[in-house]
Amino acid sequence: MSNASSIVSNRRDGSARPELETGATPTIRPAYRVKEKDDGFGLTVYLPGVPKAGLEITAEADQLRIIGRRSWKQPEGWTQIHRESTDAPFELVLEHGDSFDADKAEAEFRDGVLRLALPKAEALKPKKIKIS
Amino acid sequence: MNYPLITRNLAPLGFLRSPWTGLENEIDRLFESTLSSFAGAPRNQFPVDVYEDRDNTYVRAELPGVSRDDINVEMVEDALSITAQHKEDEESFSFSRTLALPAHVHADKVSANYENGLLTVILPKREEAKPRKISVAIK
Repeated sequence: MSNASSIVSNRRDGSARPELETGATPTIRPAYRVKEKDDGFGLTVYLPGVPKAGLEITAEADQLRIIGRRSWKQPEGWTQIHRESTDAPFELVLEHGDSFDADKAEAEFRDGVLRLALPKAEALKPKKIKIS
Repeated sequence: MNYPLITRNLAPLGFLRSPWTGLENEIDRLFESTLSSFAGAPRNQFPVDVYEDRDNTYVRAELPGVSRDDINVEMVEDALSITAQHKEDEESFSFSRTLALPAHVHADKVSANYENGLLTVILPKREEAKPRKISVAIK
């Protein structure tokens, strides 16, 4: 993980909301990584079992919230022998302190992996200063 | 890392090799469940679920973002081995799990599909392992 973590920090410690706002459903935090480039951040979130329709990305003032709901239900007649995964939806909340421009964010979702390109807010982009 | 998976569940079927295996696996599982929620990057373990119905045993593995060409599913005797290569930018991670399965799998007819980052392996049961309905005439 790059030093972007200093800008995009996680709310997990104390301030995290452990439940979906819609109800008392417990959620789990997905694996994710943030990479910083000159002009933006690349966020990769691993959401196995989540179809496109189950994905919800909300960019609030200084917070990015990603919710992924799994679609698979155990078919009738199937007996569970061993279980390691969970049905709980994924939820990731990242605080970004207005560091990127949400209007220009781009998302790609394939094979259970969400890739977000978050362009840096103008104020954060490195600027070359000409010497006259 | 090869990892005898379903020790606890298959123990009654005779797969338990040492009296401690179950406990060791339980300890591993406790560590895994504690640590996995902090996973910032994929570790070399992936969650696996096992189901069955009358005709098949089903193994579902969470392998998000893996190219189908980089998933290798193999049956060696009564063990199912899943190996996957995850490539992200310049980095490459390899994951592997081996599951002991009941002996009644029709190894030649095993199939698999991959959707939404989930691999499902379908292992048909041999005819003799399927529950049979026998009508008994009552005189």
